[in-house]
Amino acid sequence: MSRTSTPARPSQLSTALARDRLGVAAVVFFVMSAAAPLTVVAGVVPTGLAVTGLTAISIAFLAVALVLAVFSVGYVAMARHIANAGAFYAYVARGIGRPFGVGAAWVALLAYNSFQIASYGGFGAIATPLIADWFGVELPWWGIALAAWALVAVLGVRDVAVNGKVLATLLVAEIVLVVVFSFADILTPDFAASSAPLNPGSLAGTGAGALLVMAVTGFVGFEQSVVFSEESRDPRRTVPRATYIAVALIAVLYAFSAWAMISAAGADPVARAGAEGPELFFNLASDRLGGTALHLGHALFLTSLIAAMISFHNIIARYTFSLGREGVLPRAFGRTVPATGAPKNGSLAQSALGLTAILVYALAGWDPLVQLFFWGGTTGGIGVLLLITVTSGAVLGYFGRHPHGEDAWHRIGAPVLGTLLLIVVTYLALTNIAVLFGVAPGSTPTWAVPLAYAVLTAAGAGWALILRRTRPRVYEGIGLGARSAGTGFSRTTTLEAHQ
Amino acid sequence: MATTQLPLADDLYLAAHDSARGRCLLTPATLGLGLAAALLGELVFWRRLELADNQITLLDDRPTPEPATSAVLEQLLRESHHRQIRDWIAFLATGVATELVERRLARIGLVRREEKRGLLGTKVRFVPTDPALAAWPGTRIRIAATRGELLDGPDLVLTGLVLATGLDQHVLVTLEARERDHLFDQLRRRLPAPLHHLVGHAEAAVGDAVMARRA
Repeated sequence: MSRTSTPARPSQLSTALARDRLGVAAVVFFVMSAAAPLTVVAGVVPTGLAVTGLTAISIAFLAVALVLAVFSVGYVAMARHIANAGAFYAYVARGIGRPFGVGAAWVALLAYNSFQIASYGGFGAIATPLIADWFGVELPWWGIALAAWALVAVLGVRDVAVNGKVLATLLVAEIVLVVVFSFADILTPDFAASSAPLNPGSLAGTGAGALLVMAVTGFVGFEQSVVFSEESRDPRRTVPRATYIAVALIAVLYAFSAWAMISAAGADPVARAGAEGPELFFNLASDRLGGTALHLGHALFLTSLIAAMISFHNIIARYTFSLGREGVLPRAFGRTVPATGAPKNGSLAQSALGLTAILVYALAGWDPLVQLFFWGGTTGGIGVLLLITVTSGAVLGYFGRHPHGEDAWHRIGAPVLGTLLLIVVTYLALTNIAVLFGVAPGSTPTWAVPLAYAVLTAAGAGWALILRRTRPRVYEGIGLGARSAGTGFSRTTTLEAHQ
Repeated sequence: MATTQLPLADDLYLAAHDSARGRCLLTPATLGLGLAAALLGELVFWRRLELADNQITLLDDRPTPEPATSAVLEQLLRESHHRQIRDWIAFLATGVATELVERRLARIGLVRREEKRGLLGTKVRFVPTDPALAAWPGTRIRIAATRGELLDGPDLVLTGLVLATGLDQHVLVTLEARERDHLFDQLRRRLPAPLHHLVGHAEAAVGDAVMARRA
């Protein structure tokens, strides 16, 4: 301190704070590691092809990217004005109303947990044949899933920052691998540039909603950029730029690799995807690249799934933490491990849920790839799509009441356009839900999933109304996260005086 | 104020360290936020600052008799256009507060510098020299809670910051529900509003750090 006492220098406070803040690249990295590119390209795309029988996936990625970019205009603008900007429910609470905010929080918890649990199934199903191949050991899928679960559970209560660097390295490796494998697809003898993946007409045809939800699933994670709204170097530029760059990069990468994969898969890519599953991506390119590349690809596929698990686990634990701090969930969820800063009870609760899901699937003998990985991912995708749509409406509502500091495009133009587009996508998704799950119309997932989200929304709103009556201070703090007046210290010391 | 006990931030620093092994119980980020609030709290006790409506107001610009708070005060005077409590907590938490407190504790011999050579270079840390003295701040709060005694102003803020940083999971874990209630009741009734405000800001900053994965 004493050595810094020379007068007439630029504000030390501003400089010191700026040094700690994140630039565009850091935010893009963070967002893309949650999106887990290789998991989407090798896992979601071939499984989706097989289950839905639809090939126009590249155009769906591009269309969804466009919609999400328009949505992001208002989303990142509102993030600058509110506390707890990392959570969808904060937007809904401030823009539409606190009851729907809590409903959105419950929906988000189910959606992200679906992704999380789905990735356990994916990991088990995908690793089983690989481990048999590499080590000659036949393990049940759930044994491997439990090992991954244990790893995530331990990392969940340990330091998160260390994982960040590892995740970034793996992410770069994943992207390089997807690009190299996709070019290898183009060089295979069977390659015939297919127009089916890029056919815009299919976005109006049957199954369009299924394609769009699959594409949305691939982008999940992009919404996390706003976590850093207050931590970024330039709040007006860093997060918006990082969001658009991440969405564009993801779109181009997915659209290109899906197109290359389908073009190289011969006359009937759907049949090949059904027969080979996630191996399709690796089989096509391995002709050109040889065995080493194949093993490397498989290894990275597994680490990509683990990275996705860790990301979703952290998102869920922090959602739970923030709800615990507000007092919307029991206060114990607002606790952290002092030595690591990890949101302890949120993390433990997620792990307990994950363990239960793996055991239920194992005991029931359900298929980990389709019924857990794909259905779980799709359920999560629908949930996030609903959340994005409602959040887009919330942005409009918020700026309708607080029109200061943003121009008309950020406040009205983009949010209106985005909301309209998202309503269309949501409508298509819900009407195509049977195609999406690859089941007969009217069978369980087609009504259970929308019903679950509807029930959670109603239950959340109901809980908020109970809070309004019984604990008005907690109600006031809904959506404010760590800044809610009802958090731990303040809650124990002031709030209970009212009760 | 520093006749019977150490300055507030020093007490918090010691409470945040495992007295037997000298290990810090908090992440560097959380420790920094707690110490930042503690130093601002000390300046309130020195009657140099007033805190209200998220803002810091300077009451008196004379240096305090002690270098750590004087350094913070000097900085506050120099940066007169920054008056948000949260900005100052964030700024002091970038390492400034921890360094000031470590230096202050080292000067009176309560901590010593330890260098640890590892694979990735040398790590410097400060460890409490006397386990009994290091354990005292936490013990003092526990004794007051168990006996139902009243805490003085700085110890009330210390208790508040122990709760805000999550240290209560170490410091207050042995207390019974009745004893905890006694502490909370004191905080509720006896902690002055500006300091209550300060601890609330510290807690929000700790929570925000968790959300932004900085904790």
